[in-house]
Amino acid sequence: MAVIRTKDLKKTYNSSMVPVHALNGIDLTIEKGEFTALVGPSGSGKTTLLNLIGGLDQPTSGKVWVEETEITQLKGNDLIDFRLKSIGFVFQAYNLIPVLTAQENIEFIMLLQKRPKKERQQRALELLNAVGLKDRAHNRPGQLSGGQQQRVAVARALAAKPKFVLADEPTANLDSTSTANLLDLMAELNQQEKVTFIFSTHDQRVIDRARRVVWLEDGRILSDETKM
Amino acid sequence: MLFLIAWRNIWRSKLRSLVIMFAIALGLWGGLFVIALSQGMVNQRMDALIETSISHLQIHHPQFADNQQVKWVIPKGQALIDSLRRLPEVRAAAGRTVVMGMVSSAAAGSGVQIDGIIPAAERQVSKIYEKITEGAYFDESVKRNPILIGKKLATKLKVNVRSKIILTLQDRHGNITAGAFRVVGIFETISSRFDEHQVYVRAEDLNHLLDTENAIHEIALILHDVEAVDPVATTLRTQLPALKVETWKETAPELDYINEIMNQTSSIFMLIILVALAFGIINTMLMAILERVRELGMLMAVGMNKFRLFSMILLETLFLAATGGIVGTLVSMGTVWLVARTGIDLSVFAEGLRDFGYDTVIYPVLAPEFYLEVGLMVFITAILSALYPAWKALKLHPAEAIRTI
Amino acid sequence: MTMYLNLAWRNIWRNKRRTLITISSIFFAVLLAIFMRSMQLGSYNHMIKNVVTLNTGYAQIHAAGYWNDQTLENTFEADSTMIRTISQIEHVTQVIPRLESFALAATEELTKGVIVIGVDPEKEDQLTGLKDRRIKGDYLQANDNGVLVVSGLAEYLQVSVGDTLVLIGQGYHAMSAAGKYPIRGIIEFPTPELNRQLVYLTLSEAQWFYSAPNRLTSLALNITDQKYLSEVMHTLRATLDTATYEIMDWSELMPEIVQSIQLDNAGGLIMLWLLYLIIGFGIFNTLVMMIAERMREFGVLVAVGMRQKQLVGVILIESIFLAWIGVTAGMITGIPMLIYMHYHPIHLTGEAAEAVASYGMEPVLPFSVEPGIFFAQAGAVLLLAGLAAIYPVVRLLRLRAVDAMRY
Repeated sequence: MAVIRTKDLKKTYNSSMVPVHALNGIDLTIEKGEFTALVGPSGSGKTTLLNLIGGLDQPTSGKVWVEETEITQLKGNDLIDFRLKSIGFVFQAYNLIPVLTAQENIEFIMLLQKRPKKERQQRALELLNAVGLKDRAHNRPGQLSGGQQQRVAVARALAAKPKFVLADEPTANLDSTSTANLLDLMAELNQQEKVTFIFSTHDQRVIDRARRVVWLEDGRILSDETKM
Repeated sequence: MLFLIAWRNIWRSKLRSLVIMFAIALGLWGGLFVIALSQGMVNQRMDALIETSISHLQIHHPQFADNQQVKWVIPKGQALIDSLRRLPEVRAAAGRTVVMGMVSSAAAGSGVQIDGIIPAAERQVSKIYEKITEGAYFDESVKRNPILIGKKLATKLKVNVRSKIILTLQDRHGNITAGAFRVVGIFETISSRFDEHQVYVRAEDLNHLLDTENAIHEIALILHDVEAVDPVATTLRTQLPALKVETWKETAPELDYINEIMNQTSSIFMLIILVALAFGIINTMLMAILERVRELGMLMAVGMNKFRLFSMILLETLFLAATGGIVGTLVSMGTVWLVARTGIDLSVFAEGLRDFGYDTVIYPVLAPEFYLEVGLMVFITAILSALYPAWKALKLHPAEAIRTI
Repeated sequence: MTMYLNLAWRNIWRNKRRTLITISSIFFAVLLAIFMRSMQLGSYNHMIKNVVTLNTGYAQIHAAGYWNDQTLENTFEADSTMIRTISQIEHVTQVIPRLESFALAATEELTKGVIVIGVDPEKEDQLTGLKDRRIKGDYLQANDNGVLVVSGLAEYLQVSVGDTLVLIGQGYHAMSAAGKYPIRGIIEFPTPELNRQLVYLTLSEAQWFYSAPNRLTSLALNITDQKYLSEVMHTLRATLDTATYEIMDWSELMPEIVQSIQLDNAGGLIMLWLLYLIIGFGIFNTLVMMIAERMREFGVLVAVGMRQKQLVGVILIESIFLAWIGVTAGMITGIPMLIYMHYHPIHLTGEAAEAVASYGMEPVLPFSVEPGIFFAQAGAVLLLAGLAAIYPVVRLLRLRAVDAMRY
């Protein structure tokens, strides 16, 4: 069953003198368990598309479904709650609250979901274990390397047991070793835990690891290939 | 160039800079206006006192102040007045016969100071004739024993213009004597205490009661220029060693004292406001430095020396303070000028003010020196507030600074 | 909730220097404010107590119409049952009878208008402490035929204990009043106004002098504490016939005191508002900076599912923390100092003392430790913190994750 479905998705920015058509009619379906990269030069519309799928922005026209929910219909707090329960996010930077420790950052998401304390602690430790940072539980983001921070971000994204994880250029600020480690982690989670990942990137190393690659250019899907 | 960089820098964070400028302007405006109001209050009281009772200079027999006995007259008083009038600094001089006594009507009695005056001469030294609210200053309508009394006393005695009241006093020989006077005018000054305890009669009528001949106890002098009071007093003291010459500051020392206190309070008041502002300025500048660590590191790396860096931060702080300061001062000047035209009515507190001898409609004033003083204080505050942030900036090492995000 | 508090607390210490400066500014304002208010309110209480026990008492009973027309015609018959009834009212400690009017005091050479007050020596002493204000001679005996004279008047008339004073005036029903009285003692009041013109007689002597046997101008009341005044006034009005008697409390007897207090109070409050306003701008700027540098972080938080309202909660807690630390620090520093000052008031000296005395006050600087002062400052600062947070709150409520992350 499709986790995400978009229909004729269009987004136009009117901020400058000339309207910019960031997305020009995107029809995309993501199935459960996919490991998909959105690829394209900057300005191609990857981030816009991710934002729309993640319910962070409203399209000019078109629709987005996450499973049965048409999220383009959701507003305000309903949308925020939907994101909280159904979508995991990993961003390029500023992912974590700097004053909270790695463990607390993961717990925080569950706190927003009003989970009991015991469960929060237990799951946070599990997730930290899963991303290989068990011994860093009590370190603050400032005491972690960039790669470690992104792994905590992945753990945090998984905390809510989301339907899929959106990652917007998650490796943009990482060196090659960290990039490889993060990708290994994501791939492993995808295979073992069946977590659906969609990430945007223009890093060839990341593209190589993706099982499905969707090329975007000028707000249109240029190609869509799934490796066997 | 440094000026331009500094000026542009403060506009990089518009809201933050505007808030601090606005705070400075508001602080100055509020502070200066309150000070101008109280200064106006004190000045009005001083002017009123000088105009209605104490004059610029007063001359008495040296023992008159101890107990105002009839015998402590100024010898050859009239001749002295005439010679005083010829002094170039003196605008007017008038003699008064002064005695303590009791005034009574059918309804009540009260202790008063009775001033026997020559109406025409008194007009030159005292503006009491302007304060008549009912009846008239001495005119020819009442030939015998006219008297001017204050509004508060009139209420207390329950008398009106044309009512008859009795003055009881001790004459030259120590005998108790009384005379009937007819109220011709009722005055109201800004001091209800004065209005209750002061009455005016003609000198000739009072001398008649006292059985004296042109007894002059007090000479009041008004000079052309109030600043000349001290030198003129010094000259008169050497010329008239047997008499007591007092300036208005000596006659009413509390007035000078209040003035002094006023100035001190105003300065402390401004100081407190500026200290409060300094916290804001320090914080703003500190943030401006800390968020620009990379940029400052770059500037130092490309060769901006520490002195220049320090100057730039100092300039930014000064611009911030000066903009707020100038706006605040201009707005204050405008407000003071505007309010001074109509006056501000504090009559809600009327009775309280009058009891202390203050007018109820206040015309704020602020000496130009005070603006300068405050300008200087703002300048110093800005420099002091810049020191800590600037010191922080100087401690940066270019390499480290650039690495910091 | 613990997590939010924890988060807010750690957030304010992300930038220690800025937080410390902001807190210092609040600390400074609070300390200054409680000192100023303590001095102001302390001086008012002091002033009221001072003037009330100097002369008027907390309340007075007159014949109806006396206050507007203070003549001997508006006196009333001393009624012992009535006086007993009044003295039995709860909280009333003394009922002091007086007969006072104007007269001329004369020696061989000098005269001066004076206020002659007929008093019950013992009772008067209980209210005004007259006995201890003596600087020379003796106090009045119960059936004394002498007088007490205030020091200013004695100096003016150049008389001392043992000399004779002639009093001349107008008695009840316009009877002429005259008498010769030996001076028993000289008393001194702290205020020049009172020191200038008072002459004390025994009540019976004054009634004889003014030809007003058994008549009084006023009954002055002393009560245990100012806070019972309205209760006592209420009982008095219910007990006495208000058509025959007028009942006034000190604020009606001396409205100028109330007004000068109000004026001074208003001045002090304006100054404080101004100070707080400036401090408020400082808090505002700190909050603006705090949210500006955390915009991207907020964007991520909203993206991953935090509601704007929850963000606002964190910012509000941070703002309140700032205010609360400043207030607490100010109180902890200020209150012990004020309590010390309350029990050891500063005695003024020199010119300042004279100026204060000329306004009818004892030259001391009393400090009030009324809890209201402290609550008011704490309330003011918390209010400021709330007001300063309005703009950040509005910005956060309007925050869109996508925009904030691009900030």
